[in-house]
Amino acid sequence: MKKVIALLMVLSMGAALLAGCGGTSDGATSQESQSENGETVEIEFWHYMSEDKEGKYVNEAVEEFNNSQDEVHVTAQYLPRDELMKQYTIGVVSGELPDVGMVDNPDHNSYVSMGVFEDITEYYNSWDEANFLEGSLSSCIYEDKIYGVPWGNNCLGLFYNKELLDAAGVEVPTTWSELEAACEKLTTDSVKGLAISAIGNEEGTFQYIPWLLSAGGSLDSLDSDASKESLTYLKGLLDKGYLSQECINWTQADAEKQFASGQAAMMINGPWQFSGIEEDAPDLEYGVAKVPKADDGVYASVLGGENVGICTGANADAAWKFLSWITGEEKSQEMCESIGRFSSRADVDSETVYADDEKNLVFAEILKNAQSRGPSPQWPEISKAVYTAMQEVFTGQKDVDTAMSNAQEKVDALE
Amino acid sequence: MPGKGKGMNRVIGYIFIVPAVIYMLVLIGYPIIYNWIISFQDVTTTTLGSAVRDFIGFDNYKAVFSDSTFKKSIINTFIYTVGCLIIQFSIGFLMAIFFSKKFRFSQPIRGFIVISWMLPVTVTALVFKFMFAEGNGIVNAILTNLNIIKEPIGWLLKGNTAMLVLIIANSWVGIPFNMLLITNGLNNISNDIYESASIDGANTIQKFFRITVPLLKTTILSVLVLGFVLTFKVFDLVYVMTGGGPVDATEVLSTYSYKTSFQLFQFGQGAAAANILFVCLFIVALIYLRTISKDEVM
Repeated sequence: MKKVIALLMVLSMGAALLAGCGGTSDGATSQESQSENGETVEIEFWHYMSEDKEGKYVNEAVEEFNNSQDEVHVTAQYLPRDELMKQYTIGVVSGELPDVGMVDNPDHNSYVSMGVFEDITEYYNSWDEANFLEGSLSSCIYEDKIYGVPWGNNCLGLFYNKELLDAAGVEVPTTWSELEAACEKLTTDSVKGLAISAIGNEEGTFQYIPWLLSAGGSLDSLDSDASKESLTYLKGLLDKGYLSQECINWTQADAEKQFASGQAAMMINGPWQFSGIEEDAPDLEYGVAKVPKADDGVYASVLGGENVGICTGANADAAWKFLSWITGEEKSQEMCESIGRFSSRADVDSETVYADDEKNLVFAEILKNAQSRGPSPQWPEISKAVYTAMQEVFTGQKDVDTAMSNAQEKVDALE
Repeated sequence: MPGKGKGMNRVIGYIFIVPAVIYMLVLIGYPIIYNWIISFQDVTTTTLGSAVRDFIGFDNYKAVFSDSTFKKSIINTFIYTVGCLIIQFSIGFLMAIFFSKKFRFSQPIRGFIVISWMLPVTVTALVFKFMFAEGNGIVNAILTNLNIIKEPIGWLLKGNTAMLVLIIANSWVGIPFNMLLITNGLNNISNDIYESASIDGANTIQKFFRITVPLLKTTILSVLVLGFVLTFKVFDLVYVMTGGGPVDATEVLSTYSYKTSFQLFQFGQGAAAANILFVCLFIVALIYLRTISKDEVM
């Protein structure tokens, strides 16, 4: 009798195992649920706006959309950025992709070439609200076809602690020499002049680009004198102790913590940190300015932000309905403002919108000249060459010349 | 009647192992075979989704072997593994002997020590990362207060010290494991042998090297090989604490494979790197099995 029971248990375990293996068609079913006779179509929206910050507003917007009509019902799913990117990669092979997906703008091209996103050129061209900033839209374009719509943008600027600057009698620096002089006065035993993120991933590259561009360098010519000048300057700040050595392990969020806690008098960061600073240091009096330019260079910044696209195998019509709504004239500005980003729409004049908001106004101005990264499906490898060079120089492993030539070699090898 | 019973028993036996076999085949066998296949194919962003991919022979392996980061990661993995093994094994052994003396509270204290083995590795990684931070890390604070060092050390900012911190952290995790296994082995040596040795006039050192060590041979071998395999494929500790940095100073085979596949989207090369890791461990496992079976035959 015992044996029979045990046997039955084993057989049911085996059956359960096999049943589990068979159920992988979740993502594909959305394709079959065409709207017939006014039935609501269910679609999924994957994003990485964290629940405790921007995610709240995304959920509110989704609810608003769902309540405003009953043809399409959106379920929003939050995943941390790294995890979401991995899910896209897995989804390519397993077929489980959402209907609408969010992606960081420099990565968009890579995922398009993997087959994650669908060509929506037709939808876009027949859309009368299709009016976006060129720089933002360029990251959605791959081989002359459009694979997404810009969700929102941001850029980098200089945050400065008003109290610390006043106490040291320092004016807000606008050039590299002024920045160095300011750091000298601001750096003490417990305070560093500047905090940046030089971590070994995309964030590091993102943070480095404004400096690179300001000196007249570029990603195609990393071994040019101008490019090297930018890295030499930053290394100089590091050696003199104005930048903490630990910046090579800091994310931009870590840099914000340093600034908010008063351990750094200034930092390079973006408008999405406003809510973070509010929470960490609500009494901190700070201002924002453009990233100081090279003495003989121009003001420069880098374009960040996300794009949203329709994924392969999705219910395209329904997905487009949601997509065009949330990036449309009506909703885009509202959405972006709530999550600390700037609308990528060309018909939104951020300067007018933020005329009364001092801090956002500065970023609106910077945004005009912020350069986008790529677009290229090989951006991850280009990015790696850049942040590796930066890390090698910061840790003293290689000198600027060697590091930059190596980086240039790697980029060249990518054809 | 007996014959029928035996046949039936065998069939029932096979049925009992069916779930486990299915599990192994699907979740372990299939991925390993798939990994071998894609390591010989050109799998990047453009070909990931396609059903047909070009066979490019050993190109992925050649690319991987000519990558300086890969060579560094192999060296790092070995340094890390050997370093961890030496520390974990010696201290684990000492602690096993120490706690075998059965003094008061030896059981609860031993239980307490095992906590480090049970903590999620991610937690351990983060805690050690904060402890060894240059600015506000507690380690630097203690060392400077005791005047052992004058200036705070950037533990995770330089390659050598970062590797050291990783080894220390992993040793903290692994010592209880070693200790428990060796304790088990020690318990299997009956006290009679020690007693008769004492009667024959053996001192502690002779007892240790002539009795304890030889009788523990299989245990020691298992501990070392198991430790090697588990340590060699480290991922979470390195990924969370240093991410392979600074630059590639603490890059190990597993993080290299992961980054190549999921950050650079070079899936074929990542698969090749993972297979090399597999081969290294396979060889170690083979050596272990050979050594064990030789003993058994004896």
